[in-house]
Amino acid sequence: MTQDTTNPPAIGRFCHGEVLDILAASRPAGIKACAEVVLDDLGDVSVLTNRTGLAMLPFVDTVRNTNFHLGEVLVAEAHIRIPEHDIEGYGAVVGRDLEHAMAMAVIDAAIAAGHETSRILQFLESEQKHQNERETVRLKKVEATRVEMETF
Amino acid sequence: MAYVATRGGERAIEQAERLFRDDLGVIDRARVDALRNGLPYLIDRVMGEASLYEPDLAALALAQAGGDLYEAVLLLRAYRTTQPRLAVAEPVTQPDLFTMRRISAAFKDIPGGQILGPTLDYSHRLLQVGVLSGRDYRPDAVEPAAVPAPATQPSLAAWQKAQALIPDHPVEAVAPDDIPDVTREPLLFPASRAHKLQSLARADTGGALALGYATMRGYGSVHPTVNELRLAEAPVRLRHPRGTIFSAGRVRVSQTEVISKATTGLELGFSATFGWNEVKVIAAATLDLASNQPNPHPASNEEFVLYHTEPVESSGFCIHFKLPHYVTFQSSLDALRRVKADRKATTTAPKMERQPKKEEAVL
Repeated sequence: MTQDTTNPPAIGRFCHGEVLDILAASRPAGIKACAEVVLDDLGDVSVLTNRTGLAMLPFVDTVRNTNFHLGEVLVAEAHIRIPEHDIEGYGAVVGRDLEHAMAMAVIDAAIAAGHETSRILQFLESEQKHQNERETVRLKKVEATRVEMETF
Repeated sequence: MAYVATRGGERAIEQAERLFRDDLGVIDRARVDALRNGLPYLIDRVMGEASLYEPDLAALALAQAGGDLYEAVLLLRAYRTTQPRLAVAEPVTQPDLFTMRRISAAFKDIPGGQILGPTLDYSHRLLQVGVLSGRDYRPDAVEPAAVPAPATQPSLAAWQKAQALIPDHPVEAVAPDDIPDVTREPLLFPASRAHKLQSLARADTGGALALGYATMRGYGSVHPTVNELRLAEAPVRLRHPRGTIFSAGRVRVSQTEVISKATTGLELGFSATFGWNEVKVIAAATLDLASNQPNPHPASNEEFVLYHTEPVESSGFCIHFKLPHYVTFQSSLDALRRVKADRKATTTAPKMERQPKKEEAVL
């Protein structure tokens, strides 16, 4: 999770980076449903981009601290503008789900406009809880494989 | 080498492609999903060698290629060229990794401990033949620990550097956009370390293993031990137009360091790749370390290794030999016939010398 202690919260207790982390990792059906509702009274939306493309992923070698490219990750991104509020929204997710990216951009724009704040906050709280629980379940299984080696 | 175009056979070519696809049958979403969900390590291998991370597309490539790995890698690399590059993500460092498996064969007690994670390393390998008789194989459930493992683990190499067991190197101050990239620049030798590690990350698993194994067996000068091996998920951190850095999701990665004793102390080799592929990163890290030695054996020579483990170029060159070479081969055949005729002429020369007028008449 993105830890940002320098910027003020964007919504509720969440800073902008945390919001985007949660939205990108959200269950697709849930975020799309939330965006549909948020979109209702947001105003006209102008789509600047909604496409798939590549993000090159650099990696830092642990031996000599060399930055090198691991390879490219396909991502879906959406960039929108709400002229009525003079704001923009942006979303990007790993994979090909253009609707997920668009839903993320809509919610990002709505947060910037202060629109449907309580609904979005509720969605963020619920998704973050789900994501944390899912990771905890996974990591408890991982912890079960911790080994204490003995040598003879 | 000379190339000429051949003409004809269009119908046969079309029918040949149809026959190939006919044997594979209908490719539907269910087949792609079954490949993606049932063969994650194969999907990982294809994505690593294609240097493109997208599991659905990798599964589709495998389905279309009927499981031919080189064809699948070629399909993914070709697809990649249709996509614009949107960004260079923030560099991934070891403390960023959401770690599922982390072991060391060199040090028993490492900071953070050893976590086996998902592995068959210590298991009997037995076929569950009952499945073929209709008895489903249902693996025993994991008994979870009471507390979760830490999501991230400390770096063993950083600890070793702090203990002065291995040399430390200053962190390179390089902007992500300025990191050397073999997909946009030629691979020149001696290669930069960034080019070498990127080439190894997208190397053919079998090729890296063959050369790495040769080096381990004694054709190289290092005897590697796994210093640290990790299977993890790395965040893909992008920049929002307003400047906020965020994670757009995570991708599976493997990374390893191998350690070897040198005259001056301990030395490490490194490799990382997309997907979970332990054989590849151990072999590639060994090749990294071996290629840093003076006068490396050809099996671990940087140029030899990087050229011959490139999966698309090597497989493409190999299979091009089955395509029509009629003109070049005919030329070789003509040369052989000429030599044969010349030899025959030489052996019969004494007779001809006695009959010079007859020979001229023949010519």
